[in-house]
Amino acid sequence: MFRAFDWQDLIPLLKGAWLTIQLCAVSGVLGIIFGVILGVARTSPSKIARWISTIYITCVRGIPILVIIFFIFFGVPLLFPGLELDKFVSAVIALTCFAAAYVAEIVRGSIESVPKGQSEAAEALGLNYWLKLRYVILPQATKIMVPPGVGFIIGLVKDSSLVTVTGLIELTHAGNIVTNLTGDPIKTFLVVAVMYFVICYGVSLLGRLYEKRTGIHVDPLKLPETAGV
Amino acid sequence: MIFVENLNKKYGPIHVLKGLDCHIREREVVCVIGPSGSGKSTFLRCMNGLETITSGSIVINKHRLDDSKSDINLVRQEAGMVFQHFNLFPHLSVIDNVMLAPLKVAKTSKAEARAKAETLLAKVGLEKKMNAFPGNLSGGQMQRVAIARALAMNPKIMLFDEPTSALDPEIVGEVLAVMKDLANEGMTMVVVTHEMGFAREVADRVLFMDEGLIVEEGTPEQIFSAPQNARTQGFLSKVL
Amino acid sequence: MALYYGDLLPFSSLLLQGLWTALYITLIAMAAGSALGVLLYLGKAGRVKLVSILCTCYIEAIRNTPLLVQLYLIYFALPSLGINLNPIWAALIGLTLNNAAYTAEIYRAGFESVPKGLREAGKALGMKPAQIVRYIILTPATRNVFPALTNQLILLFLASSIGSIISLPELTNAIMTVSNTTYRTIEVLTVGGLLYLGVSALMSLASKRAETTLFRWAVGTHV
Repeated sequence: MFRAFDWQDLIPLLKGAWLTIQLCAVSGVLGIIFGVILGVARTSPSKIARWISTIYITCVRGIPILVIIFFIFFGVPLLFPGLELDKFVSAVIALTCFAAAYVAEIVRGSIESVPKGQSEAAEALGLNYWLKLRYVILPQATKIMVPPGVGFIIGLVKDSSLVTVTGLIELTHAGNIVTNLTGDPIKTFLVVAVMYFVICYGVSLLGRLYEKRTGIHVDPLKLPETAGV
Repeated sequence: MIFVENLNKKYGPIHVLKGLDCHIREREVVCVIGPSGSGKSTFLRCMNGLETITSGSIVINKHRLDDSKSDINLVRQEAGMVFQHFNLFPHLSVIDNVMLAPLKVAKTSKAEARAKAETLLAKVGLEKKMNAFPGNLSGGQMQRVAIARALAMNPKIMLFDEPTSALDPEIVGEVLAVMKDLANEGMTMVVVTHEMGFAREVADRVLFMDEGLIVEEGTPEQIFSAPQNARTQGFLSKVL
Repeated sequence: MALYYGDLLPFSSLLLQGLWTALYITLIAMAAGSALGVLLYLGKAGRVKLVSILCTCYIEAIRNTPLLVQLYLIYFALPSLGINLNPIWAALIGLTLNNAAYTAEIYRAGFESVPKGLREAGKALGMKPAQIVRYIILTPATRNVFPALTNQLILLFLASSIGSIISLPELTNAIMTVSNTTYRTIEVLTVGGLLYLGVSALMSLASKRAETTLFRWAVGTHV
């Protein structure tokens, strides 16, 4: 009935890991795009833009990702009857929604840490808001964004494990399946943990390389971290 | 009182102090001037053990600093230090800042420590700010508190590391006035400074340092009016 | 489609019960995890090399793996410790161990953020290292660390939802139960979401209040 945990069990786990990487890559890119837009809106002089983005960010960051995943996966099909969402697509949507809010806060923090004098000098030269943002503020803010951005990617990889509830066979779900085949949850999930570790630690090493190269170091107390997820 | 012999200090391959010799007498006010990077601050910080000596010796009031057996904290109680950036403890009120070391290091009684702190704060003109917090003080006020804090430990020597460099020009005067009073009362002082006016007025001796050595020393008249060494002349022509 | 919240009423106690479970598990894990976190930080920063390496490995292992996987491992490892598969114990242990790693890093940043000059002033006054930590470093470090710690509390509260996957009877679990029973998925998700949002907003406000009250000396300054 149960067979022992075997080398052949690595294959579905590796497949799951690959799906996790794909999931995070797509959600990450989309999350960054929307996150930058939200972050810029959050710091813009337009009251409406600030209000809408703040409400979105506060709501998304105030409820668990799991609830968001449930909402997208179970709730949205009810709102739009007949709409069939592919598991991967709904996972991407859910993760992107959450990622955008997370990235928005990083972007906001980076923009706000560009010295005010830069903005004033740009305005004194006659640059309007969009020119100022594009040529003065964002180029400086982007460098500061990378270290917490690395933290965001690592958080995304860990958050993707929650997508398991939708049945999408990413790494954690693959672990569940293998557990059911081998009856050895501990060995299986240790291997799963090691795979996550390799991905996450690898990303953090890249981040440290960037910090060494550019000398940019962010005050870790100012980072919007995800706890343990 | 302070005997410095062949003082060498290296940070890895960088040789900052290259065999300094110096003798500072009791009640003497010595000002150390020189370009940045000359090692003036390092020299000062070696005297209370904030920097470790690579080779050579410093003897302060019979305590040898390079001797691992001697307790560095005893030396530190004899030498008070005032920093360029004040370094007041932000979470303690002014009077608590001044009382902390006497209470915890010298183990004086609370009443005694308090009385002494109040006297010192009055001496530096801040008795009204006793219960204020550093966050509410100006730079000059903070530095005067820092001086009172150092004096609270009854030091025999006061070390000043560019005490007015971080202050606005119009505030510099109030701190220098306190230092002048201290000198007139007979305190032994070693002051690293860029304030040539102060050095001229108050110092008994001026040391000009460059590249880790004392290049020239003498009375203020000798140094400022008739510098002998070319490097001294060069430095003074730029700053005066 | 028509939304009807009325069907949720009989289940309001279930939802509130779930919220309460989430809260008390969060608070216990925060307290125990923070205490453990301080020890971890001290171990990592201490002089015994072996302890320092072990602490670093622990912290890195926790921070680079998902909480869900950690919970699975603890949940399935429990029987060998003599406890029957018990989601509450698994969640408590898991969240505590997880929180400890993150708070250790928070403390590290806090201690390192205190300006070097303060330490030197303490040294110049003749204070011993233990005295310097206790009277000079500790309070400013805690103040710097306070927003990060309260943020950690909120994140922990939201992370408790993951316990639902191992059948912890907290709020998210209750939401799914109600959804499966009444089919009022959108409604219950909305109510549940609002409960989470409300509590985390309250925590946020309370912590800002606490910060200004506890650290009155720091208003307007940054240490």
